[in-house]
Amino acid sequence: MEDQGFILASYVAAFGAAALMAWRVARRGRELARQLPEEDKPWT
Amino acid sequence: MSTWRTALLIAMKDLRVEARSRIVLVQVLPFAGLVMVLFAFALDSDTVLERVSPGLIWMATVFSLLIVVQRSFGVETADGALDALRVAGVRASGIFVGKAIALAAQLLALEVLLTVLAVVLYRAELDADGLVLFVTTVLVATCGLAFVGTLYGGLAAGAKGRETLLPLLLFPVVAPVLIGATRATEAALGASGAATSEGWPWVALLVVFAALFGAGGTLAFGSLIEE
Amino acid sequence: MTAVTAGASESTTTASVRGATGTGTTFTRWLGAATLVALGALAVLGLVVSPADVVQGESVRILYIHVGTVWVAYVAFIVTALSSAAYLWKRTTSLTWDRIAGASAEIGVVFMAVTLFAGALWGRLSWGAFWVWDARVTTTAFLFITYIGYLAVRDLGGSHRQRARRSAVVALLAVLEIPLVHFSVKLWRSVHQDASVGDRTSDVTLDGLMLFTLMLALGAFTLLYAWWLLHRQRVLAMRDALDDKGLDRALAERRTEGVQS
Repeated sequence: MEDQGFILASYVAAFGAAALMAWRVARRGRELARQLPEEDKPWT
Repeated sequence: MSTWRTALLIAMKDLRVEARSRIVLVQVLPFAGLVMVLFAFALDSDTVLERVSPGLIWMATVFSLLIVVQRSFGVETADGALDALRVAGVRASGIFVGKAIALAAQLLALEVLLTVLAVVLYRAELDADGLVLFVTTVLVATCGLAFVGTLYGGLAAGAKGRETLLPLLLFPVVAPVLIGATRATEAALGASGAATSEGWPWVALLVVFAALFGAGGTLAFGSLIEE
Repeated sequence: MTAVTAGASESTTTASVRGATGTGTTFTRWLGAATLVALGALAVLGLVVSPADVVQGESVRILYIHVGTVWVAYVAFIVTALSSAAYLWKRTTSLTWDRIAGASAEIGVVFMAVTLFAGALWGRLSWGAFWVWDARVTTTAFLFITYIGYLAVRDLGGSHRQRARRSAVVALLAVLEIPLVHFSVKLWRSVHQDASVGDRTSDVTLDGLMLFTLMLALGAFTLLYAWWLLHRQRVLAMRDALDDKGLDRALAERRTEGVQS
């Protein structure tokens, strides 16, 4: 039982951190992009 | 003015400031002594204390290093002295070596006290055999600590909210010194059944550490203190 | 940086409206999709489809996460070190190197935290101990703390160039320090004859589907790292641009004040 709990916890930690960070960077990107004109975004 | 001459002047300046203010003497040495006493309260066993006394000496040294470094740079930032030196064209490498020398001198005084306390409070035993090893260890480890202390102290000096950065940066970096100096001291004191000959590889590690950060610090110090 | 915008060229007309809303481009969208697929496959294979180990049992499943994240964390920190060196090498280089270094370090720290967490869980299941004082584990923890310190240095304030220079130096000093820490811990533990219980993860041999799953983990997390780095680096670039604009505006205000008085 301890086995399964730990295994799941490690996957949740990894995927959870990934999802959280992805959401945060995407949101921040949108917030900042709203405030800047096009020339400051050379990737578009 | 050569870098070496600059360094000596700065070292003398720092030591003179300490001689007049006596902050290290009156505040830091008692702090170090107190740390040694508190270890005894926490560890509560004569055999354990004697066994770990080398580690405690160097732990207390590292804690005190923090305070001495902050004092060393507090003196500079109080009136913008460091910036004034830079603006006056003083070579950063000279400032680095000079402050490291002064720091090392103060650390050495500290370590003498800590060793005496370890012998008195923890009943550590220092015999003639291990004396050469012990003195060498103390000298080399102190150089290493002085170099990294000056380097990161310069970075953490100045603006508000920076002093708290110093432990975070410094403690991981001094880990090799803590490990090496403690193992070498164990060998010198014969604690944990270590033979004196086992200590010398550790001294070699300490030499490498001091050399790397002496060189690295001399090169990097200027970039870190620039405002 | 032009290489990564190449994928955007075919849809620039529509992207100029879409792209304006965030840090995404056609390339990063494809990258993101690939990452999701890979991570999904990893979850399925890692948790369900791949077999348990003969010796280790089910706990080997944690290794897919642990090894995958530690690999990427190391890659991230190497990228930080190289970018820092690149920034210092020719000072006229743009701050992009500095931002890549910073973004990569942030990502590395997160991956490293997951590594240490998963590693502790695995160690507990396999060997009964959450932690072990061997060279690799201890050095990994030190790396983690050191880069947290690096991130703190980046937040010290001052101009962008000061930040870049300072943190680049700190990153390179960290590169100097890590082998020292590793070597001293290794020497230390060998004195205690603990070297034999040291390299625990290498005791496991994987083949067949298990090896494939491990490779999949490495690939999936690497894709995640790349996707994340691109986005985060662009966010940092915008943040710096906003800082500059704020400064420009403040300067302009000062000047008009001067004219009026």
